[in-house]
Amino acid sequence: MKKQCIVCIALIALLSLVSLPLFSQGAAEAAKPAGPVTVELWYGAAITEAGPPPADWVGFQIIKDKLNIDLKLTALPSNESDQDVKVQAAAAANNLPDLFMVRRDVLTRLVPQGLIASVDDMYAKMPIRTKTHYDEVSRSHARFNGKTYGLADPGSIIKNEGLLVRKDWLDKLGLAVPTTTDELLEVMRAFTFKDPDGNGKNDTYGYGAFQEINNYEAWPGRRLEPIFGAFGVDGTWNMTTAGAGLNLLKPEFYDAMAYLKQMVDEGIIDPNWLAYKKDDFRAAWKQGRFGIMREQNAAFAAQSNYAPFDKNFPNGQWIVIDAPKGPKGKASIGPYTANFRIYAVSAKAEKEGKKDKIAELLEWMASDEGYYLLGWGVEGVNYTKDANGIPVAANLPDANLAFSAPGGQTVTQLRNMVFYNGDIELYARYPKYVTETSKKQMSALDVMREMQTKEWTAAIGSDTLPIPNADLKRFYEQGLSEFITGKRVLNKDNWNKWLDEFKKLGGQDWNDKGVAFAKENNLLN
Amino acid sequence: MAERSKFNQLMRDVKRHRSVYVLLAIPFVYYIIFKYVPIFNGQIAFKDYMALDGVLGSRWLGLEHFKTFVNSYYFVELLRNTLMYSFGKLVFSLPLAIILAISLYESNRPRLSKVVQTLAYLPHFLSWVIMYGILLALLAPGDGILNDIVKLFGGKPIDFLTNTNAFPWIVILSDAWKEMGWSAIIFIAALMGIDPSLFEAALVEGANSWQRVRYITLPSIRPVIVIVVLLRLGTILDAGFNQIFMLYSTPVLSVADIIDTWVYRQGLLEFQFGLATAVGLFKGVIGMFLILGSNRLVKRFGGNSLY
Repeated sequence: MKKQCIVCIALIALLSLVSLPLFSQGAAEAAKPAGPVTVELWYGAAITEAGPPPADWVGFQIIKDKLNIDLKLTALPSNESDQDVKVQAAAAANNLPDLFMVRRDVLTRLVPQGLIASVDDMYAKMPIRTKTHYDEVSRSHARFNGKTYGLADPGSIIKNEGLLVRKDWLDKLGLAVPTTTDELLEVMRAFTFKDPDGNGKNDTYGYGAFQEINNYEAWPGRRLEPIFGAFGVDGTWNMTTAGAGLNLLKPEFYDAMAYLKQMVDEGIIDPNWLAYKKDDFRAAWKQGRFGIMREQNAAFAAQSNYAPFDKNFPNGQWIVIDAPKGPKGKASIGPYTANFRIYAVSAKAEKEGKKDKIAELLEWMASDEGYYLLGWGVEGVNYTKDANGIPVAANLPDANLAFSAPGGQTVTQLRNMVFYNGDIELYARYPKYVTETSKKQMSALDVMREMQTKEWTAAIGSDTLPIPNADLKRFYEQGLSEFITGKRVLNKDNWNKWLDEFKKLGGQDWNDKGVAFAKENNLLN
Repeated sequence: MAERSKFNQLMRDVKRHRSVYVLLAIPFVYYIIFKYVPIFNGQIAFKDYMALDGVLGSRWLGLEHFKTFVNSYYFVELLRNTLMYSFGKLVFSLPLAIILAISLYESNRPRLSKVVQTLAYLPHFLSWVIMYGILLALLAPGDGILNDIVKLFGGKPIDFLTNTNAFPWIVILSDAWKEMGWSAIIFIAALMGIDPSLFEAALVEGANSWQRVRYITLPSIRPVIVIVVLLRLGTILDAGFNQIFMLYSTPVLSVADIIDTWVYRQGLLEFQFGLATAVGLFKGVIGMFLILGSNRLVKRFGGNSLY
């Protein structure tokens, strides 16, 4: 008995010693160590195929010395769904990092859970960054119930895609650039059946695509928006005051579907388009499988991306064309919205008093030192500046360490956190070059500028409208694809029946909520 | 006193066989951490899980998540597809694996059978991402090798990967191809355990190869077949998420969407962890009842049961 008492007393004493710091908050604050504050950052890698910054990256030491921050980096997966799963799994365990990139859809789910800190007070603490990165549109992008819950940084440049056609094929077949949907059909037929590459084989198609869907570009997605744009129904939502609502519910959507069905039935769209993933599609145009596509400027014209096509077809030539006009004279490459890359601060980080340090870190990133270090690396090692002060990958002691070379790409993985699509970035990112085989002069920047002059549909804010639940989304996408593949017969009767079912399942409610949201937030034009 | 001496005896035994106990500790810790601790978190299947409130603090919802799942628009289709793929894989892959194992065992060219065996289980090590690339090269309607052959004979290309009639076969057969060799290993091991004197006696009696397989080989490995089938029944609602996720596309959702892909979209992507857990629980309970029921049946009919 005596022995048990002694053991109990010893245990209580031990427990008291261990728990003492929990009850002495004031004293603990006063005795806070002056060591660096750890900031855990989950970032979206700028170059997904390159590795993370190495452990001896100079940036870590500079950040520690100047800001007293021990920066811990973790790259998010390149695939958006995988990113969402990683972030949401951490959120479910209440284990979000201090600062992390997050898509807006996910943010809308995390905010009501109380897991995200408001960032309204951070703007004033980051004057340089706020000036270049956060305007009113960006702030409202991540605003919920009057508070901003994410720093919406500039994302990819808007209108950076275009409708491209093989000019060399047009010339060979004596065809003019198509300007209407009828002419487009003729060109697609010729590209499919008249052997435009002259190899004697029936192995080419008119149009190439794959399913690339997002909130504001629903099925069949981005790659076919120029077709739907010709009927005035490109994008998920019509964002005009007169016709606000889901484009799917407009009569013109049926006409656009009938046009696409005709392309499929005649076999003038690459039959692999439903099975292609992004990389398959990109490999296909480089192999000369089709002669018309919607593609992104850099994916088409950046040096490394264009090189395989140049090698395979030294005489090949793609040109950016206007969106074809439809029966009612409408035309559009597709909808565009303001692009943002959101970085959120976790409520846990705020509770641990890290918010000010995070603001300091982001502000430093926007300083000249941070901007160039994160954007291009170390001057003289990863880049030099040309006569105009533009970072270039020339005259370096080790060419493999250039910011654009595999060895140097790792130190620019955080560049998306500092870039704001300024001129310096664009000139540095898209330099002019001469192609290896055909010796053509190319510039992805020139291509982009040309793409931006074409007709686009303003749909600012359409990516912030409500999204359907998973079952409705499936019904929507599956139904449309079944009409196109012939599993459902595409006629007015079937179409209307399917639309009724869609409305009943929640489509009408989704439409009404979207319109109400757009009106409330002044998104209609 | 007696209890103390029993305890001391146990401790002495543990000390004597400590290497075995150290080995036992590894799976023991694994099961505690990854199998038993999560059972506690399984209660979120009945709760409106809020991360800040934690597992214990979240509000009870009762059977709401189960109702959501069962009442979901696609429930019947999801269950049908899941069972179709599970049973399809069982019906096709298992016999193929047994046939492969017996063929390899019966072969009297050991070098050839080794090569075949190696080639047969290599695909098991390929991820479904790579398998998708291979299948696309084989089956794409535009330039797939199979369609090139179809076109050569004047046929019309078939959209195997986006056609609702062809897709289930692609799933089942590609799984059989990928896993057949790996699954055969357990049967090859069972075949190795057959007493060779049985075959010698059969030879003396004049039995041919088919008769040897029918009357010796198959009955000898029947217990292993039964156990493999019973174990597979336990995971009957796991139809192979990785495979379907890689292969499916919108045109084939009606025959491709399975419970796991639905859970991925509805549960994980939409932050409904309670719902995802409820479906996991649902699958586990069904699997458990299937194992218990079939084990009892096998026992009743005198077969070799699992326990």
